[in-house]
Amino acid sequence: MTEALIVRGLDKTFSKPAVRELDLTVHPGELYALLGPNGAGKTTTLRMVAGLTKPDKGSISIFGVDALADPAAAKAVTAWAPDEAMIYDRLTPLEYLEFVAGLWNVEPRHAKARAVELLETLGLASEARRRCEGFSRGMKQKVALAGALIHDPKLLILDEPLTGLDAASARLVKDMLQARVDAGGTVILTTHILEVAERMADRIGIIAGGRLLAEGTLDTLRSQAGQGGGDTLEDVFLQLTAEGAPA
Amino acid sequence: MSLLRPGGVAWLLAHEVRLNFRALTGKRAMGGVGAMIGLSLLALLMLTGGVIIGLALRGLNVPVVPLSAAIALACCATAFTLMLSQTLAAASEALYERGDLDLLFSSPIPPRTVLFVRALGVATGVLTVFLIFVTPLLGPAIILGHPHWLGLFGVLAALALLATATGLTLAMTLFRLIGPRRTRTVAQVLAALTGAAFFLVSQIRTLMGERASESLFQSLAREAAEGRVKIPPIGYWPLKAMLGEPLPLVVMLAIGAGAFALAALSLGKRFADAAAATQGAEASAARPVKGRDRAFARGVFAATLAKELRLILRDASLLSQVLLRVLYLVPTAVILSRNAGHGDGGAALAGGAGVVVFLAGQVAGSLAWITLSAEESPDLLAVSPAATRSLRRAKLAAALLPVALLLAVPLAVLLWLAPITALWTALGAGLSAWACGLINVWHQKPGKRADFKRRRGASWFATLAEVVVSALLAGATGLAVAGLSPWATIPLAFAGLAMLALRRSDAQIAKVLRMA
Repeated sequence: MTEALIVRGLDKTFSKPAVRELDLTVHPGELYALLGPNGAGKTTTLRMVAGLTKPDKGSISIFGVDALADPAAAKAVTAWAPDEAMIYDRLTPLEYLEFVAGLWNVEPRHAKARAVELLETLGLASEARRRCEGFSRGMKQKVALAGALIHDPKLLILDEPLTGLDAASARLVKDMLQARVDAGGTVILTTHILEVAERMADRIGIIAGGRLLAEGTLDTLRSQAGQGGGDTLEDVFLQLTAEGAPA
Repeated sequence: MSLLRPGGVAWLLAHEVRLNFRALTGKRAMGGVGAMIGLSLLALLMLTGGVIIGLALRGLNVPVVPLSAAIALACCATAFTLMLSQTLAAASEALYERGDLDLLFSSPIPPRTVLFVRALGVATGVLTVFLIFVTPLLGPAIILGHPHWLGLFGVLAALALLATATGLTLAMTLFRLIGPRRTRTVAQVLAALTGAAFFLVSQIRTLMGERASESLFQSLAREAAEGRVKIPPIGYWPLKAMLGEPLPLVVMLAIGAGAFALAALSLGKRFADAAAATQGAEASAARPVKGRDRAFARGVFAATLAKELRLILRDASLLSQVLLRVLYLVPTAVILSRNAGHGDGGAALAGGAGVVVFLAGQVAGSLAWITLSAEESPDLLAVSPAATRSLRRAKLAAALLPVALLLAVPLAVLLWLAPITALWTALGAGLSAWACGLINVWHQKPGKRADFKRRRGASWFATLAEVVVSALLAGATGLAVAGLSPWATIPLAFAGLAMLALRRSDAQIAKVLRMA
């Protein structure tokens, strides 16, 4: 079976090391949550996977494609949605999706039908022809999410996807992600809302100081942290990150 | 009581000056060395010119006669319109740029103090721009025997204060008449029109039938020599103030300061209300985009081209800033056609063609900066599988297309009247626009669209390169139109060499962008 993502020995140093000797494997059809305290290296890791930041060392394979040797092929099956929506205020959601579909070379007729469907699902149909400049942060996040899904990526990478969303929108996005995973898609997300990871993730990775401290299902993490079955992810997370924190 | 009492005018002004200074120098810790060398060379050049002027004018006494008074009035009017263009744009922007405005208005500082300081900042900024150019040119003359010419600086200060008061009042009047959504656009367009007012007025004379070869000043000199220029006594005051006569100088300064104080203090409350009303006004009033239900664009090039053209057309603030160049380009192209129609040849056609070519490069360069360097979502493009070259080609096409459309009609008319001139001009304009676009591809400097005005400071090398290459191509076109084609190859070759020197490989561009 070809893994959705294999990361080996990933290293990145800016003014100080951000990611160190990181190994990560994400299986196809799973929702993987990457957790960690602020500055742990989560976003840097995901940016390297998305092809935005060049690693100093290591390898990245996305569905069998070497992402460093053939970035275009890797990007063709990947989507990246950061916490700051990558949209254009002066374009309408429909125009934005037209542009994104063009970037991924999606057949125009299919792209348009998919854009309309996505905007409807995300509750943005009535705003489809209105410029994004007056949108709330949550609405912009939803437009960006539609952009990430327009080319039906095999691997969807989301950095803090629920930031700025109200309760109803957050539920909508969670349902969409779950439906995507149920349909065989692969999702990697970072979040500070540990309940989301606890409820949704098939496996969880905990990263601190640029290193992967623990990885697995919640039960695996509990046993790694030496805690009981009743402990929440929050307890486990705090225990593991406190142990793994540099002295 | 301390002079910088917290919450006072001086304290707030110091804060404003500090922010402006940091905005100017903030990102140039390393890249600023080249800019400093360039600016120092320019200053040295201007100072040398100033010393030559100073030596030439030593012992000269400016006569207080109708011609000199008329020239002084025309200079004042030109300076005032240029200043008004800047202050009107700055006053309207002050309403929309949130910055620290919300913080200041939520503090106990009276709104009139906030506006007073902000307006003082605008006036100081405008005056500084003029002083930068005037001081090295006239400073030596003042030192070399004309100390009373210091009055010129007083006149400039008075004009800056008056222009700020007028700009502020105009912006607030517009706000009242047409509301927050349209004020920004209309004010920016008005600012562009005001900035080009003198050029447009002189060109209207030409378009209406006057001979193009006679400038406004030449016509003034002719009429003065014929004794037809009549100046009322008060019309001599600007000249006298420039020459340091105390009473006219004090009166001009008092008029400027009085108008400034009146506008800044009386509009304070309204300014606060207007600034609050702009919050989200543009966005919330944005109507749905009309248009038929058309199909999506196919592929990277078409989708990117459509996106860039939409973004250019929908950014009124940016458009108005490019408009200033267009206001010079289109009338010049029309006059070129008109001169050809009148059978004017030689210098008039060659000069006109050269100017069109130069301006085509400048407009294309501005648009290329917007499409290439001011990309709003670079990460989106970076995570997509689209080839960088396809994206660049589409962005370059989006910058060149408006220039082609602007020149299409005047050049079509010219083609009918003077086919050879039209062909040379079209070729030169196309080359110039393409070259300036390519310079922006090779020397991208990521920036925000809102920083369009400051882009020259951020990438002075690319700006200088654009000016030099488009000037060389303008020279080549002018020579070709004048029938001196063999000579045209010289500036053309220099332009080609400059482009070869400026060229950067994809890897070099990517490396620079990664470091930016």
